[in-house]
Amino acid sequence: MNTGSSAVRESFVLPLVFLTVAAAGGLRLAADGVSLRFVPPPLIALVLAVLLLGVMARAGLLLPSGLVGDHRTGLENVSGAVVLLALFAASAQLFTCLTPDAGMLRLLFNLFFVFLLWNTLAAQPDRARLLRSLVVVFGWAYVIRYIALAALADPQGGWTRRIVAALLEGASAGPLAGEPMAPLAGYVAFATVALYMVGLVLLPRARPVEAVAIVTRAPDALE
Amino acid sequence: MKPILVRVAGLVLAAAYASLIVWVYARQPRTVRQLTGGMAVNFEEGLRFFRNDQFMEARAAFERADPAHQDALTQFYVAYSFYRQGWGRVYRDDALFRLGLEAVDRAIAHAPGGRLVVSDGNLGMHTADELRAELQRGAQRSMSDFNPMKVFEPRK
Repeated sequence: MNTGSSAVRESFVLPLVFLTVAAAGGLRLAADGVSLRFVPPPLIALVLAVLLLGVMARAGLLLPSGLVGDHRTGLENVSGAVVLLALFAASAQLFTCLTPDAGMLRLLFNLFFVFLLWNTLAAQPDRARLLRSLVVVFGWAYVIRYIALAALADPQGGWTRRIVAALLEGASAGPLAGEPMAPLAGYVAFATVALYMVGLVLLPRARPVEAVAIVTRAPDALE
Repeated sequence: MKPILVRVAGLVLAAAYASLIVWVYARQPRTVRQLTGGMAVNFEEGLRFFRNDQFMEARAAFERADPAHQDALTQFYVAYSFYRQGWGRVYRDDALFRLGLEAVDRAIAHAPGGRLVVSDGNLGMHTADELRAELQRGAQRSMSDFNPMKVFEPRK
């Protein structure tokens, strides 16, 4: 890996990508299209982020030793630590972005994330498989929150609302309340999830094991 | 460019960006206009009108500053403008006081913990609770309205 491009990626690209995700993850756009608010990560999101970083480290997607270690200079270590902190903040805010703000659904979403991450941790996937798994997990959470639940809350949701209501009929004890939100909210959330996944792909990879030349000498040469 | 310079520049940029994000989350802007700073200009203009006793102009500027009616401080000043406009030495305008009550209720609803303290030396009342009580008293009809000593009460 070229040292220059590696420095640019570690110092500029990754921190900016993850900090943008951290900023956008807590953005809530109200249905009136005017109001907005910024939601800090709840405690459960911090716990989920720690779990997710653990899964990433286990799968080799995140290499803490590649970002911070004795083999790096002080400045490189600070730079690597910034990437780790930004990744942690982005992970926590991504869960905030994909989880409903209140109610039973919030609990269900959090349980869903905990069990899926725990399961992934036990399965010990490699880097590529973990990336695919995260796309599926975050993708489904996005679809449920920003398409299904948003359609339920929209009185003019049309066919989407009817289909979702029919699918959920009998699945809950009472009527399931959707979450009213601005149409733009779904686009912002989509961009946030996509940017986070791009950031994960850009994380430094393990260097390929260098070929080791083993020289053997004939026994007679040792004498 | 040397990698060391790249790293230093990256750290400075990341620190500035992170500070901006923390500032936005701490300040909690309620509209895009507040986020981009348009609120501050309009709010300052509203405050200037308010201090010159140009209450209708002040409310127009406050409306531009907080079109969503979700900023506690702006709504406090809107309520205060109704109070001062509706206050008369011998007569209080009930309609304006009622509009003031609505505004101060919005201010209280959006203030953290429902408590709002405004340290403005130009004001006679510094909390939303005091303003609300004054507006309520003014909007109610009672025997004390006929007390001739009321003409000596100062405008707060």
